[in-house]
Amino acid sequence: MSEPKCEPTKWHELSAPVEGDRENYQKRSWNPVKHTWGPFTQKGPAPVWFADANATNWTESMIAKTKDLFYEAKLNECFDKGDEVAIKIHYGEWNRTAVLRPEYIAAIVEEVRACGGHPYVVNDTTLSYHIFNSMAYSNYQMEGAIRHGYTSATFKCPVIVADGFSGEDDYRVELPEGLILKETYIGRAVAEADAMIVIAHARGHAITMYGGVLKQLGIGCQSKRGKYITHLAHWGDPHDAIGWPKFTDQCPGKACKFHEMCDNSCPRQAHRVLEHGKEWYPERCRLCYSCQVTCIFSGMGGITFEENYFPNAMIAHADAALGAMKCFERGKVGFINCAIDVVPECDCFPWANKAICPDVGILASKDLVALEEATLDLIDQAPVSPGSVAEEKGCKVGDDKFRVVNGFSPRITMAAAEKIGLGTRQYQLIHHEPVLTPENAAKWQIRPDQPTTVRLRETFHRNDLATEVMPFRRAAYNKEWVWNEWKKFDPFKGEPVG
Amino acid sequence: MGEVIWVDAQAMGPENSVGQKIRRLVREAGALHGIDAGARVALKINAAEEGYEYGLRPVFLRTVAEAAAEVTGQVPTLCDGLKLVDYWRRMSGSSFMDVVSRGGYSSDTLGGNFVINGGFSGDEGNIYPCGDADTVLGGVEVGAAVCRSDWVWVLAHVTLHPLFGLSGALVNGGFECLVGRERTRVLAGVNPYVFNGVRPDPRALSGLRRRALEGHLGVRQALEGRLFYVNYAWDVTPQPEYFPFSHPPVGPSQGFLASRDPVALDAVTFDVLAESAFPGGRAAVEGAREAVEELLSLAEELGLGSRTHTLRRLS
Repeated sequence: MSEPKCEPTKWHELSAPVEGDRENYQKRSWNPVKHTWGPFTQKGPAPVWFADANATNWTESMIAKTKDLFYEAKLNECFDKGDEVAIKIHYGEWNRTAVLRPEYIAAIVEEVRACGGHPYVVNDTTLSYHIFNSMAYSNYQMEGAIRHGYTSATFKCPVIVADGFSGEDDYRVELPEGLILKETYIGRAVAEADAMIVIAHARGHAITMYGGVLKQLGIGCQSKRGKYITHLAHWGDPHDAIGWPKFTDQCPGKACKFHEMCDNSCPRQAHRVLEHGKEWYPERCRLCYSCQVTCIFSGMGGITFEENYFPNAMIAHADAALGAMKCFERGKVGFINCAIDVVPECDCFPWANKAICPDVGILASKDLVALEEATLDLIDQAPVSPGSVAEEKGCKVGDDKFRVVNGFSPRITMAAAEKIGLGTRQYQLIHHEPVLTPENAAKWQIRPDQPTTVRLRETFHRNDLATEVMPFRRAAYNKEWVWNEWKKFDPFKGEPVG
Repeated sequence: MGEVIWVDAQAMGPENSVGQKIRRLVREAGALHGIDAGARVALKINAAEEGYEYGLRPVFLRTVAEAAAEVTGQVPTLCDGLKLVDYWRRMSGSSFMDVVSRGGYSSDTLGGNFVINGGFSGDEGNIYPCGDADTVLGGVEVGAAVCRSDWVWVLAHVTLHPLFGLSGALVNGGFECLVGRERTRVLAGVNPYVFNGVRPDPRALSGLRRRALEGHLGVRQALEGRLFYVNYAWDVTPQPEYFPFSHPPVGPSQGFLASRDPVALDAVTFDVLAESAFPGGRAAVEGAREAVEELLSLAEELGLGSRTHTLRRLS
């Protein structure tokens, strides 16, 4: 079969910057920036609490340890009684399997409520990202959230899309401190909260290499407009592909079996397949990644990213995270990283690759940068999972795993975050190992005050359901087979022992 | 001339339960005509304020949501705007959702995704002109869940209303679909919480009614007329759902009425209420008559529909 012909992309050059109604936005709204916002750590290393993923008894349940860390890290002091407390999580893309189990979120919601806060769970809408996205449109996002078990019934609190029905219920936040961004847009359910607990699934990310709590702020709290600006939409010249997709001139046009998917991938019709290539209107693009992801993950090479785009985007998302933090007074945001199912890609992917390392555990802190550094270090120190992309790429214990797997070191983001005052990269890791005592075993159970067994006594006293039908019918059985035969068979070899 | 279908509350039976009556109403009133597979249908409902205990049972709304889902193949959106809680309680999307949930309304019970029309802030929306009519407002900002849908079915829990006389299709399909700040603009200083000694200046009410109906014109522009109205004449209380309390219903529940003409629908609904009120509720209904008459006349004048109607009653 002959190679398909690829003609150069037909450009419709950008004649001038795209103008909108910028000056009229938010004219009548208040600016939510809190004057007392600022990094939690004033001096020295920040304490980060860590509970590893092993569990052998009641007290070591990951859920129980998550609750322990909430108090150890003093996240209960992030809010006052009566405060509206946003619980920021990622609702997960349709068909995504590596999302946080609802129990982790429910555990924190329960404790926020127990401490007198009014919790509500939030996530913003996303941009399209890929052709079959379920998170860009709030109605679809809620269907996906419900499918993942994220509902008001499981959390016993409202589950809300933070930036409204369409993703434009937001506030503009000025960022004079930003290294790249000078403003961003934050979903109002986040911006209007009194306090926030961020619960992140710590795992990889195709653009920022790694995603933990900082990603939950830097992208997760941004409304649609916030996400566009954080993606660096319209930065630089279209030809440098920093704020636009990169067209490689390697598009075979209609010879590509995915060309209809490609055409449909853009919500703004910024590109169109020609007979042997693409037609491209940069002024229509806002950089949602949808065309790039659709092309790259269908195994094609017509639309991609400029390599230098990634560090730029990583630094920009640290700036955007600052935008979210500026909506809160200092110390009003607490952070939890769940390094569980540490897969290479984001929860906004509609699939999940194998984890690159075994489950690490739970970390909590009030300093988000310290927390991220500690999480990254622990992930790097963890063994490499056999059969994972990390192993495939030759990653060793101690390597910067996400750099090996995704291309750049996530420490680029952390250095930027520290520089703009989001926190400190120095941390003091405090291992939390719950002591097995009767009190601790009972502490986080469904009815801590009364063991279920004691409750059942009363039930059985009134209606002894087992005794009622006794004696159970018992008949003689072949003891030789049940007691001995199975010992003669090696299940691994599929043959008799010896 | 508007056609109104009324499925009354008579002749209940195993083949004619409340749910079956509502399904029949939706079918007979032609709600499903013209709706394509894939269309996004939003159901504007009333989510009661905390303390108001006569809200519609979720299954009454779920039945309609299921009909919408069946014809479109899509999960419908159910929505309501933030109440005017800045006057009563703290305005917050989270507390609104808490109250809604305590009333038994959730995505689990309603047969679709329940969202706040206007987002967490209640202010997410777009501006639409009020049409060619000579209007005071010119244009209104319609909530996002309403204006970004292909169809809106207005499912109104019929009650009396201290400002408009009747809370039915006209109020719920207009004023109630606007974003929070637009409703504040429509109110223009009139306090809607008519209790604890608050009594609005009667001279301000005509202007308010007109502005609220102009809001309905804006909603109609936003939806390009793709609106359908159901009036639930069920537990018709003297106070509307945004009140934090209510007295008992003014009459026995009369069933469900539907039309594409909100003026005809509200006119028939009020007649039905007036004819069936309890002796103890008659004064409240008659007390609302003047306001309702004005509302209907203004609505006709603005071209929202016609009081002249045909009524088909089914049991």
